[in-house]
Amino acid sequence: MLGNALIGLREGLEAALVVAILVAFLVRTGRRSELPRVWAGVALAVAVSVGVTLGLTLTQQALTFQAQEALGGSLSIIAVGFVTWMIFWMRSHGRTLSRELEGALDRAVSMGPWAVVVMAALAVGREGLETAIFFFAAAQAAGETAGPLVGFLIGIAVAVALAYGIYRGALKIDLGRFFTVTGFLLIFVAAGILAYGVHDLQEAGLLPGLNTLAFDVSDVVPADSWYGTLLKGIFNFSPQTTVLQAVVWSLYVVVVLALFLRPARRRTPAATGA
Amino acid sequence: MSPVTRTAAGLTSLTVAAALLAGCTSTAPAAQGPGDGGPITVNATDTACEVSTTQAPAGNVTFRITNAGSKVTEFYLYATGDRIMGEVENIGPGLSRDLIVEVPDGGTYTTACKPGMSGDGIRAPFTVTGSAQRATDTNAELAAATAGYLRYVSSQSDALVTKTSEFAAAVSARDVAKAKTLFPVARTYYERIEPIAESFGDLDPKLDGREDDERDPGVAWTGFHRLEKDLWIDGLKADSPQIAATLVTDTKDLQGRIPGLKLTSAELANGAKSLLDEVATGKITGEEDRYSHTDLWDFQANVEGSQAAVAALRPVIDQKDPALGPLLDQRFEAVDTLLQGYRVGDGYKLYTQLTPEDTKKMAAAVDALAEPVSKVAGTVTA
Repeated sequence: MLGNALIGLREGLEAALVVAILVAFLVRTGRRSELPRVWAGVALAVAVSVGVTLGLTLTQQALTFQAQEALGGSLSIIAVGFVTWMIFWMRSHGRTLSRELEGALDRAVSMGPWAVVVMAALAVGREGLETAIFFFAAAQAAGETAGPLVGFLIGIAVAVALAYGIYRGALKIDLGRFFTVTGFLLIFVAAGILAYGVHDLQEAGLLPGLNTLAFDVSDVVPADSWYGTLLKGIFNFSPQTTVLQAVVWSLYVVVVLALFLRPARRRTPAATGA
Repeated sequence: MSPVTRTAAGLTSLTVAAALLAGCTSTAPAAQGPGDGGPITVNATDTACEVSTTQAPAGNVTFRITNAGSKVTEFYLYATGDRIMGEVENIGPGLSRDLIVEVPDGGTYTTACKPGMSGDGIRAPFTVTGSAQRATDTNAELAAATAGYLRYVSSQSDALVTKTSEFAAAVSARDVAKAKTLFPVARTYYERIEPIAESFGDLDPKLDGREDDERDPGVAWTGFHRLEKDLWIDGLKADSPQIAATLVTDTKDLQGRIPGLKLTSAELANGAKSLLDEVATGKITGEEDRYSHTDLWDFQANVEGSQAAVAALRPVIDQKDPALGPLLDQRFEAVDTLLQGYRVGDGYKLYTQLTPEDTKKMAAAVDALAEPVSKVAGTVTA
């Protein structure tokens, strides 16, 4: 029960966190009209994940391991691109807000509509296939024992509640700080997703160094503990991290953080980073 | 375009892209497991990892892992060096998950359950047999290899009968000089196919027994070496012609058994190796032809027989390990070059004319050859 609940919590947080921040951002900047795009993106991801899972199940096929890892890894790395873009989009947007110039604001979000759908879709769909397959397995087991399915759904519910909490919190804090805090949070989330994607590709054998570990703290932070689950769900922290993962994570954090914290050029909105 | 239409158009193209992406990644049909046609079941608990079978044919191998424990577990199939062939994560308590792994090559793999999602897991060896796409071709080629080698054996046994008959005629005619010349020549055909002859346990002692070999009470010492002792040491005796006639009869017996011979590729490859062991344990020491000292003729014949067996298997060797064939060529070449250095006319130097340095060099060359030859059996049956 608990094990399955923690899986649900982890998978749910991975998907819901970015969506929560995205929604908070749109609400805070008075762009509620964009919200349907978010839900469209989420729905799209869910539909594709469920569709692929059902399709494979009905045709008695299964994605081979390499295909699954390569897909998950690639989607993760694409997702990082979008989240990074989102970080800088919010940053520049935060600046233009104070000037309250509609035109500037629109220019800053000219990429907006599309990015919002894709970002939401990727945030949810990245691990959607794994989650859908898991859900399907839990549903199949429900014939014998409803425990796994109930546990999993509880986990998802807790993840959604946490994400909602983050969203409510984001609505309350001071606007200036909102951008800094969410930006920071997203940088570490994105770095985690990147490292995770790299690990997937290492497992698929597309990148080397799977067994060269930078550190192993699985004794201190068991992967199946609640805090291990939270760390994994939010920051994609893995107790056993490969050297390549650590290098990629550090590089990303250093470069993006430096860019994020560099002082703004005066009187002009900063160019959006992509 | 209005925002709404743009969104709709975009959504459609995204859906198509996602479907395409899912469509082009490789899928595998759920494979037939061994026996009952179902997947291999893995019963995972917090302390155990019970895999229903430790063997499967190459191709798509399907595992169905059921977590009967209380911890979340993962299941892995590793190749050598912990390369992941396949894994399935997030197997929650009470859940069953399927893992389909493409394993194209036979060999030894490792299964592992990881209760608690950490550590090296509970491991066990897992054997994959055959080679998926190449299995039928390989079987056909192996069959061709053994058939080809049996033709070689057959031709050698024919020549053995012919030459032994000539040798026996010389013994009967009391032509010692001619008999001495023919002795190592006739033996050549025997030595080339020695493992085959040895597989007939009753024939080899009659043909190739030594004076000091153990024999059943009442069984006389016969064969090549009995006549060798007569020719070189004691002089021909009254019963020498009769021993020679028996020798011919025994070689004909051997010849007659060849057509019914069944041989596997592994036996063929092992025969190639055992011929070299013959050289290393017998010919190098000079014990075999202790009266005539014509050991180098036997040495050469053993190596040629080994080479013939390897040559028959060569297409399969090249297919499975491209590096092995050239190495074998090179080592056979080295032994051959060394032997050519001891040629005298049609024959070879006598063993007594070799220095300890010479035999050491030969032993080294044969050992160097035996090393890749010993890999042939494993390579062709992999």
